[in-house]
Amino acid sequence: MRSGGLSRRIKENLEGYAFIAPAVGLIGLFSVFPIFFTGYISLFRWRIRRGDFVGLSNYLVAFGTWGNLAILAAGLVLIYLALRLLRTGPTGARAARVTVGAAALTGGIALAIVALAGVMRTGDTDLLTSLRVTVWYSLGTVPAQLALGLALAVLLNRKFRGRQTYRVLFLIPYIVPTVAAAAVFERIFSLRPEALANQVAALFALRPLQWLYEPRGIFQLLFGFDARISAGTIAVGSSGVGIVAWVLAYLRSWAVGPSLALVAVGLFNWWVFVGYYALIFLNGLSQIPKQIYDAAEVDGAGRFMILRKIILPLVSPSTYFLTLIGVIGTFKAFNHIYILRTAAAQGTVDPMSVYLFFTFFHQARFGYASAVAVLLFLIVLGLTLLQRRLMERRTFYGE
Amino acid sequence: MMGRRRSGAARRRRIRPLKRASPAVAVRIATSRRIAGRTLFYFLLSAAAFIAFIPFLYMAANSLKTLGETITRVSADPFSPQFWPTVPQWHNFVQALRDENMGHYLLNSLIISMTTVAGVLVTSSLAAYAFARLRFAGSRLIFSVLLATLMIPDTVLLIPNFLVVARLGWLNRLPALTVPFMGSAFFIFLLRQFFKQIPASLIESARMEGASNLRVLVQIVVPLSGAPLFTAGFLVFSDSWNALQWPLVVTQTDRWRPIAVGLAKFISEAGPYTQLRMAGAIIALLPTVVLFVAAQRQITEAIASTGIKS
Repeated sequence: MRSGGLSRRIKENLEGYAFIAPAVGLIGLFSVFPIFFTGYISLFRWRIRRGDFVGLSNYLVAFGTWGNLAILAAGLVLIYLALRLLRTGPTGARAARVTVGAAALTGGIALAIVALAGVMRTGDTDLLTSLRVTVWYSLGTVPAQLALGLALAVLLNRKFRGRQTYRVLFLIPYIVPTVAAAAVFERIFSLRPEALANQVAALFALRPLQWLYEPRGIFQLLFGFDARISAGTIAVGSSGVGIVAWVLAYLRSWAVGPSLALVAVGLFNWWVFVGYYALIFLNGLSQIPKQIYDAAEVDGAGRFMILRKIILPLVSPSTYFLTLIGVIGTFKAFNHIYILRTAAAQGTVDPMSVYLFFTFFHQARFGYASAVAVLLFLIVLGLTLLQRRLMERRTFYGE
Repeated sequence: MMGRRRSGAARRRRIRPLKRASPAVAVRIATSRRIAGRTLFYFLLSAAAFIAFIPFLYMAANSLKTLGETITRVSADPFSPQFWPTVPQWHNFVQALRDENMGHYLLNSLIISMTTVAGVLVTSSLAAYAFARLRFAGSRLIFSVLLATLMIPDTVLLIPNFLVVARLGWLNRLPALTVPFMGSAFFIFLLRQFFKQIPASLIESARMEGASNLRVLVQIVVPLSGAPLFTAGFLVFSDSWNALQWPLVVTQTDRWRPIAVGLAKFISEAGPYTQLRMAGAIIALLPTVVLFVAAQRQITEAIASTGIKS
């Protein structure tokens, strides 16, 4: 009896492994093993064929000096500690804690800026540019898509004829193959005066813009403060205080803003994702019973109050999910940027994933590109953990 | 104190309707406000639909123009005749399909996507059944490791996978474009959720009668899971059809180049031929859109609910 049960259990175990073997084998070979293999490749000079073992020097190419990396790490640790200090419970001397926390936060940010300015001077400038593009791209797309998506979801949550048709209709930009949709926007944002975007610009009495061919930042285009900042940089630079000049040069690279080309790419991103965001929000909204709105209205709550106190908390799981996939999505972005990027934009629309691709595929620098891949992986991993910690406590999952 | 505040609130609530004008006027105000609200609502909705749709109209109109018309006959307003061609140039599509090799790429993509769909459905159903129904050591650990792989950006896997596939001798061949995508943690998760909802008694009784697990999966579970399997199939098809980065790397010849790569190449080489690019784009998006429209309700539901579950 016992041996029968035992052999049956062994049989069930073996059967389980047999059933998962094909999937686990494929995922292991093409998703798990490559993580370690990338790390291995990054330790070699590897151009198509494996060359000499070079240790960590591919990473040194990225950072310039180990000093830069050390300062960056110190800055990040300080920022992390400051955030922890600022967030802990109400015990202890509150004023002192806030003061120390704010000071640590400022110090950490300053250290990080100094480190990145050092990377810009001695490390891989193009990598740094791609990181900045990724950050601008996230900031320019995710919050706007959340807001527009929620607004559209509130509209679609009403009862009206053709509701289902509209829901499907707004999902089509998300369903369409990216390359085909990007092919259309590549024409819409072309620099010719008859392009659709320039026709719309003409309605607002704007001269034809360069769109995807414009490498200059939008703040630079809007306010034209570029010349003044450059003059300031040169003045300080010639005064001989090196570190101040680098930091100013680095800050200037941010101050010009995302390029107009990147803004055009971002608008494409909105067009693709707003309908999808709305659909996800709609799922959350439709679970809010109508009685809650009625009760709120009876209590005299205005629209803004309903939005803040009822809608936002109740859709927060959707917000969390969309923020996570939105930010990670900017680190994965490839297809539409491959179509929409132009030589004239000078790399101002290439986020890290695209930079990595060209380093690997067009320059055949397998070793260095793998080092970039490891950094990209660490950043995505860090962001995921950070987002989970920051948002889980603010997310309302229901009783 | 508390009692006073509450009674104050109650008084306010009771008084408010009385403060308004006579009932007839109140009704009229409410009606006109509702009409205004409704007008605004339809205006906003139409505006959003217009923005979502104008790129498709632009694509359709320009795919049917002559080269000259794509430059001289333009408008931002789809209601103006200037937006559309004078005579639809249907031969643009013939030209894109034949001269620009789009027909060949289209066939490649169909074969690649169907093969991948078949592979994913087989491996994922097997694994999902095991994770939902069989008890074996380490199943929870293995499942969570599989789920963790979903966070890895594809770009990170590009270089090692290229080296592996090259070593296997798969470059420029069909397996390079299909096999690496045949295992997917996401679809194992999706199907497992569904398989778990199938009543255990159904499976137990079949097992009692001596049916093997494989037979239970094929003859009981799969026939009951038509909807989720179809949805998974659509999502895999759409992903495979969409893939650009990996096929760019592993196809150096036209033999197995999928349509996404073909279209991307065409765009970078076509020069000013807007009409042919738009015809090519329409050819590339048609299969996915047809599938989506055919099963829109089901796919929409699936996308909405996976959003919450993952």
